[in-house]
Amino acid sequence: MKSFVSISALALAVALGVAPLAVAASLNDPKDALKKTDSAATAPADAGPAETGPGDTDPVGAVADAEQDDDPDTEVNRAQPDFTIVGLPTTLRVPRHKSAFRITHRFGRPLGEGSLSNLAEDFFGFDSGANIGFEYRYGLFKSTQIAVHRTNNRTIQFLLQRQVTGQDDTFPLSIDVFASAEGTNNFRDSYSPGLGVVVSREFTDRAAVYAQPFWVNNTNPLPGELVDDNNSVMLGLGARVRLTASVYGVFEVTPRVNGYDPGNHQMSFGIEKRAGGHNFQINFSNAFGTTFGQMARGGTDDWYIGFNLSRKFY
Amino acid sequence: MRLLRLLACVLPVTAMLAGCDENLSDLTGPTPNLAPNFASIQREIFSTQDSSGRQSCIQCHTSVGRTPAAGLNLVEGASFAALVGRPSVQKPGETLVIPGDPDNSYLVKKLEGAAGIVGLRMPRNNGPFLTEGQMLVIRRWIKEGAANN
Repeated sequence: MKSFVSISALALAVALGVAPLAVAASLNDPKDALKKTDSAATAPADAGPAETGPGDTDPVGAVADAEQDDDPDTEVNRAQPDFTIVGLPTTLRVPRHKSAFRITHRFGRPLGEGSLSNLAEDFFGFDSGANIGFEYRYGLFKSTQIAVHRTNNRTIQFLLQRQVTGQDDTFPLSIDVFASAEGTNNFRDSYSPGLGVVVSREFTDRAAVYAQPFWVNNTNPLPGELVDDNNSVMLGLGARVRLTASVYGVFEVTPRVNGYDPGNHQMSFGIEKRAGGHNFQINFSNAFGTTFGQMARGGTDDWYIGFNLSRKFY
Repeated sequence: MRLLRLLACVLPVTAMLAGCDENLSDLTGPTPNLAPNFASIQREIFSTQDSSGRQSCIQCHTSVGRTPAAGLNLVEGASFAALVGRPSVQKPGETLVIPGDPDNSYLVKKLEGAAGIVGLRMPRNNGPFLTEGQMLVIRRWIKEGAANN
């Protein structure tokens, strides 16, 4: 109960800190505010070298640029502004030959430990050590992205994600398939391959909900010869709701429906602000996992603060 | 079509990686060849002293030239019948190895130094004792039914 009060107080403080920015922007002119952030997000930083003059025609480059300009994937998707919810993937596509970067932190101080003033003394957990992740994502082809995510316990996860179908007037869902492979000790030991599907449904530009069944192998930290279950089948469930022009609430839970399932199911919620090509997210989780194998190993009885910071390079 | 090509590449890689689990040898330390089967446990634990200096069990639990300590003969060929489903001579009411139940097997209690054992934790003379990894292997053999494999 105490931890719930602490988390709620902290979430409220964060929300109050973020909301005025969005409200101030909306008060001027909501459409302008949106247009500004969107143009910042879509303005191609690499639209062409500055020294290229009108006379320096490059037919191939011009065609490529024109194609890129026409690529709807470069436009901001207000229902799905980021490639992850908190830790689970979304169906947002990376434009072809464009990329994005993400940093994740999950701080180790349990929020339910000690009094609220103790928590404030520890700056709500930010003083403690963190599980840190760095992620780079690249649009290999249209609708196909690859990502590499490294956490500071020297686990590296590679991800290949391909959109099978996108939501449009004729079909109400977006469906992606993905394959992942993670390995400990800088991808030298204990490999955990995974396969999964991400199904999403956008509700106008206000919200998106997700269901993602996936399987991960070698999730048990012990060798397969010593364990009953070394695979986990999970059903990721999540949602992102746009609260104001650029502020979102996010939630996800990853129940293990079969196989190795120690501890509690990993659960996270948070609040985030989109600012141009950036996404700033403060989140609360009962676990530290940011790779699929780590998620399979479950969470604790405590809650921890963390953040995601992502940047699109387009 | 492109999706099928991707899947054709991804699935074999996934299957290949699925075979790349943690190495048992990383866990079992001084006995890298120890595996959860009786022949391996006999060879690596009961019959052999390991590089940590741990004594072999058959130094005392043998019928060769002496009476086996605690009436338990762990010499190869006799050990399985002496262990699995057999009552403890030292502590009546306890069973040395209960197939499927490592927690209540007296062999495990003696090797781990559990509360309530009679006499010393094994191996005697205050160690070196079996490592956590070695115990996990013995526990696994019992949990899987303590077969004579």
